[in-house]
Amino acid sequence: MNWRLQGSKVLVVDLNGDAVRAASGSMVAYEGDIAFKSAGTGGGGGLRAALMQRVAGESLNLMECRGRGTLHLAVSAMDVVLVELAGEELRAESEQLLALSEGLRTEVVFAGLQGATSGQGLFTTKVTGHGPLALLSAGGPPIALRVTPQAPLVVDPQAFIASRGRLSQTFVTDVSWRNLAGEGSGEAFSLRFEGDGVVYVQPEERG
Amino acid sequence: MAFTKVTGKVVSAEVRPGGEVLARRGAMLAYTGQVRFSPVGAGPGGGYGGGMAGALGRAMAGEAVAMMVAQGSGTVHYGYHGHHVTVVDLDGGSTLTVEADRLLAHDAHLSSSVVFLGQQGGLRGAVRGAVTGQGLFTTQLSGRGSVALLSHGGTFPLQVGGGHQIVVDPQAFVASVGDLRVDVAANVSWRDAVGRGSGEAVQLKVSGQGTVYVQASEEKL
Repeated sequence: MNWRLQGSKVLVVDLNGDAVRAASGSMVAYEGDIAFKSAGTGGGGGLRAALMQRVAGESLNLMECRGRGTLHLAVSAMDVVLVELAGEELRAESEQLLALSEGLRTEVVFAGLQGATSGQGLFTTKVTGHGPLALLSAGGPPIALRVTPQAPLVVDPQAFIASRGRLSQTFVTDVSWRNLAGEGSGEAFSLRFEGDGVVYVQPEERG
Repeated sequence: MAFTKVTGKVVSAEVRPGGEVLARRGAMLAYTGQVRFSPVGAGPGGGYGGGMAGALGRAMAGEAVAMMVAQGSGTVHYGYHGHHVTVVDLDGGSTLTVEADRLLAHDAHLSSSVVFLGQQGGLRGAVRGAVTGQGLFTTQLSGRGSVALLSHGGTFPLQVGGGHQIVVDPQAFVASVGDLRVDVAANVSWRDAVGRGSGEAVQLKVSGQGTVYVQASEEKL
């Protein structure tokens, strides 16, 4: 299986009898003999994950693409980021996941109640294992920000794409009398990351 | 006379007597020189739109994207709603097929016609148009010259030939050049009926010899 980018917005995957899981409806073109079927909740999560997704309205909708040929994937002209996982953990905003290789497991995790008010989903998708995966970035190429124990990072939840490594995530609320007086900075909720890893941020905020 | 890319979203064209440019109405961004813009009548005497049959086709089809012609001499910049522009050069031997709403501009001496899909592929063609939302009519351009196409996010070309076919998402299909046959393949299973499909139920199978331009998005313009 060979993953590569065509331009900055199209992911090309060569399939050789193996499979890739991709966001439903993300196929723009293919050559060869490839079959598409719904992979539902993303697989691996079992009934509990399915239930959680139903409750949360989590929108990780994947399809399995299996066969021989060349597959072109893209969503809404968003930029594509290729990430190679080597056993570490990645947490992604599920609507920003474009494709996952077979060797990766997904699981829906509870991101905390604050998720509901911040605009970030109530649940995020946890990806573990070995292999490539592709993320989407709206508004242009993403930036990857390094987090070290000495330098925690705070990001806008609506610009957050994914975090990778050994990171703990907390919500920071910055509601002061200024917000009540209508003079807030417009950044009432923030995501704070501590530990050791990388956080991917997109230049556009999700509406 | 070709279009020159200014940015990914703006092209410029040199207009001169005998080298008029047809463009989507409202797509002019700026111009220098002595250039006049006039609407292209689709009726008799319009001269540019494929005559009476074309006018009729357009009226029936809602393939009704109003065009304007730029005459005189000067340089005109074209762009539309911030969409990406792809320039395709036709060598005179092949035909370009595109939806009218994806056509930004083309050399006026290219001959254009509106084709009823049912004419080409019979009932199947008609079904294709209806199912894919591509409309029952498409615009065909032929001759020697240049065409500027609109897309969401830019296009990439895929070569078709040597007996193998390419399958394209109908919403991502922008245009095709060459001697190509496009069939609709409905891959609908019971899963789609209960809303658990892969989202790739309807596909366009392209076979023959030529190039397909595909956009990196499923959004229509």
